[in-house]
Amino acid sequence: MASKRPEKYDILFEPIKIGPKTMRNRFHQSPHCIGAGTDRPGFQAAHRAVKAEGGWGAINTEYCSIHPESDDTMRVSARIWDAGDVRNLRAMTDAVHEYDCLAGIELWYGGGHAPNMETRHTARGPSQFVSEFETLTYCHEMDEADIKQVQQYYVDAAIRSRDAGFDFVNIYGGHTYGPLQWLSPYYNRRTDGYGGSVENRGRFWVEVLEKVKKAVGDDLAIASRFAIDTLIGPASVEVEEDGIKLIKMADDLVDVWDINVGDIAQWGEDAGPSRYYRQGHQIPWQRFVKQNSKKPVLGVGRFTDPEKMAEVIRNGELDIISAARPSISDPFLPQKIEEGRLDDIRTCIGCNVCISRWEIGGPPMICTQNATAGEEYRRGWHPERFEKAQSDDTILVVGAGPAGSEAARVLMERGYVTHLVDSAEKIGGHLNDITTLPGLGEWGYHRDYREVQLDKLVKKQRDSQVSLGAKRLTADDVLEYGAEKVIIATGSSWNTDGVNALTHDVVPGINASRPDQVTPEQIFRGEKEIGKRVVILNADTYFMAPSLAEMLSGKGHEVTVISGVELGHYMHFTLEYPNMRRRLIEMNINVIGDAWASRVEEGRIEYYDIWAEGSRREYRGPGKLPRDENRSHQWLEFDTLVLTTGRHSDDGLYRELMARKDEWAKNDIKGVYVIGDAWAPKLMADSTFDGHRIAREIEDDEPQLPLPYKREVSVWGTAFQPDGEHRQEWRS
Amino acid sequence: MKILVTVKQVAALDDEFEMRDDGRDVDEDFFEEDLNEFDHYSVEEALLIKEAAGDDAEVVIVTVGDEDTDDALRTALAKGADRGIRVWDDSLADADGVAIARVLAKVVEREQPDMVFTGAQSSDFGSAVTGMALAGLMGWPHAAVVCALEYSPGDNTATLRRELEGGLEEIMTIRCPAVLSIQLGINEPRYASLRGIKQAKQKPVDELTLDDLGLSADSIAPASRVRRMYAPEKGQAELITGSAAEQASRLAEIIKELRGM
Repeated sequence: MASKRPEKYDILFEPIKIGPKTMRNRFHQSPHCIGAGTDRPGFQAAHRAVKAEGGWGAINTEYCSIHPESDDTMRVSARIWDAGDVRNLRAMTDAVHEYDCLAGIELWYGGGHAPNMETRHTARGPSQFVSEFETLTYCHEMDEADIKQVQQYYVDAAIRSRDAGFDFVNIYGGHTYGPLQWLSPYYNRRTDGYGGSVENRGRFWVEVLEKVKKAVGDDLAIASRFAIDTLIGPASVEVEEDGIKLIKMADDLVDVWDINVGDIAQWGEDAGPSRYYRQGHQIPWQRFVKQNSKKPVLGVGRFTDPEKMAEVIRNGELDIISAARPSISDPFLPQKIEEGRLDDIRTCIGCNVCISRWEIGGPPMICTQNATAGEEYRRGWHPERFEKAQSDDTILVVGAGPAGSEAARVLMERGYVTHLVDSAEKIGGHLNDITTLPGLGEWGYHRDYREVQLDKLVKKQRDSQVSLGAKRLTADDVLEYGAEKVIIATGSSWNTDGVNALTHDVVPGINASRPDQVTPEQIFRGEKEIGKRVVILNADTYFMAPSLAEMLSGKGHEVTVISGVELGHYMHFTLEYPNMRRRLIEMNINVIGDAWASRVEEGRIEYYDIWAEGSRREYRGPGKLPRDENRSHQWLEFDTLVLTTGRHSDDGLYRELMARKDEWAKNDIKGVYVIGDAWAPKLMADSTFDGHRIAREIEDDEPQLPLPYKREVSVWGTAFQPDGEHRQEWRS
Repeated sequence: MKILVTVKQVAALDDEFEMRDDGRDVDEDFFEEDLNEFDHYSVEEALLIKEAAGDDAEVVIVTVGDEDTDDALRTALAKGADRGIRVWDDSLADADGVAIARVLAKVVEREQPDMVFTGAQSSDFGSAVTGMALAGLMGWPHAAVVCALEYSPGDNTATLRRELEGGLEEIMTIRCPAVLSIQLGINEPRYASLRGIKQAKQKPVDELTLDDLGLSADSIAPASRVRRMYAPEKGQAELITGSAAEQASRLAEIIKELRGM
């Protein structure tokens, strides 16, 4: 039965005037990177338009560079440098305007944080400083002529934005970019009219706003993103000092304030991972702005729950809900709230894997929850619409973890009779263990969404079935099951013998069947007693070792981590790293880095420094190492040794079915496929993608392998600039 | 050798629902219909006996219901039962457990099974009447709420355990044929395979009318009649405090209020 939204959410659907424009509701997609920029206009247009269709009242680009002097290569920003960029961004504004939705552009001048590795320009800043964020990046201190020139860059970019069809421009002073470097004494050490007092430090920002407003303010709304507190105390911007002073100085020049906190070097304080921050975590800072401004205020805070969204508006803390990650996870979030379909919301789990791709620099954004994110244009995947089944084939999916449950969901959405079978009592696979780790409870939304959707789908389609708590299927069971197609999603396990990324070999003495050695699964099952002194031997680059260290330390164990790889390396990219390290220090967890184990004996482990083998390399004949012997070995005692050395696919069932291919035909089996960790251990986002992808492509000739996608690359023979020349032109 | 298993398609309610215009039931648009949870266990018990006997036993599923209840029947057939019987007549629309038992008794007479299993109760109405009424009508031995069973096709008796109050269990031996109502947890019900679901579509289902069973509409008149179904208003609980006299006086007030005095 269709239900209507509760009246308490009506406040989220009240239109609001922003300068010369009106937003139809209070849902603002915050500027966020996707890896499209200006170079992949199809990706850019399709991704943003899906959200416009899904009910967002305003949609932004990612940060958009105003001039070649602000180039963030290898990270992908948009650019509005010239007519070529205007043409490509027009694809997005046109697509967004198909719906009743405003299009915004975040005008970015990176100043002292812009490495300019592609353009080879030298960025300019308020003072010369070396970036705490970007490697080897110094800026040039501006004189007054420089100031006027850079301010004109903003004006020219705003005019091009109007040409490109945008409804509003956002002067970007968040994440210590652009004008915030001028306001912050951490960067601005000037003694002239642009330095010293807050009035002087705010002058650059005010002048940019004045000039942009004068140029385009009659046609476009003017927003300004402002990190109201950079969270390092009086050394930089504090909300009740420079923060509200700048708001008052510039209030007449903006049509809406876009408020967040933090800097760029630790911007996980803004894009807070769920591991450390709940929704609305910036409100204690953001709330000051409405008290000191006459203008509407919008702000982020990973708002996922309409209850909280309505609350912060009712409380007068924000006027508009701004969201990046929740909009990626569910582009149809506003529409689902409007229709009262709250249980259909695909809630952001706050893992920050979307952000990780920007941090890595280059790859397109992915989402753990929403496998269609970033695939709208190139694969033609709509988050809410599915191609009808193209055959009557029935499908068995073995394993209800992230990959299997997503495959079954999409197959059922397409109308395929599908059976999802798991020996566990609950959908989610290993996620049911992960959600018990410190801070990772919200990751369970991934399981919950699929659980609810599958429950609805099997009610609609009676021959489909979710069989939980079922006996483990053998190859015989699968062959006789009666499915035309079989998808194996049996996951992976942690290695029990010490096989690892460094030596690709076992560690002598490591054997998880011993009572004093445990894999993560054995810890989750609670099958062994954990001793007082715990050593974690780690060669995994994500969350498992730091999470177990935190969990075990919290239970009173003395924890040492021996890590052959950088502990939690991927957590740099998900912005979890800084607080993860703080937590380890808080909990007195000892980390021995750049070390690996040579052998384990009862109650002790021998480890060595991986760099202690001598820097001299020479040929010494066959059977001899080209370096000196490593003599750094030492023993460390433990009561329990935890093994996060690596993972392996649980693909035994798949391998046996492939070996028995000659029995397929008599059992009417057309194909057997493997996805997710059972194919190769991977990020949960990629497992979910595997499941989604094979369900979308199940009727193709070779569903095991992805179809080619639509690529967006430079086309030889065509100039990017409308009046340009693509052929080689030597300056000689 | 034949085991007859009676099953029911039950209704689960959506979170939000509306009552039927006559106020005697929920509007069926708000139902989600499915095989009664208890019946998964009774069907499984029959299938286990059949399989232990090397399939030398026939499991027949019978239900009383309109064509929509074929889903429940097919669900049981998909698990491995051999054939189905569905009895329906519009005059059964208001049938209670006793009326259903009268219909089932005729089916039992016709089929002559060696054993009849029912679910201990239905998860929607929960009367737990049908199975025992059927045994009464047949004059067969019966046991309710059976939680363990030892029985092989051809045996003259079955040994079983049944749940009693207070965590007690009773071990009894029963003469066969008998009617046993099966409790949750007696086994682990299987899921149907896709092969089972496909095969179930081909399995024979006899559709019988009251005429076929020699029954008239009068003979299955329900022993009870639902007058009204309603959702009790919430928030009616009140903790009465004070001295004994104060409590008695407040209680008297409430009784007067409720009786409109």
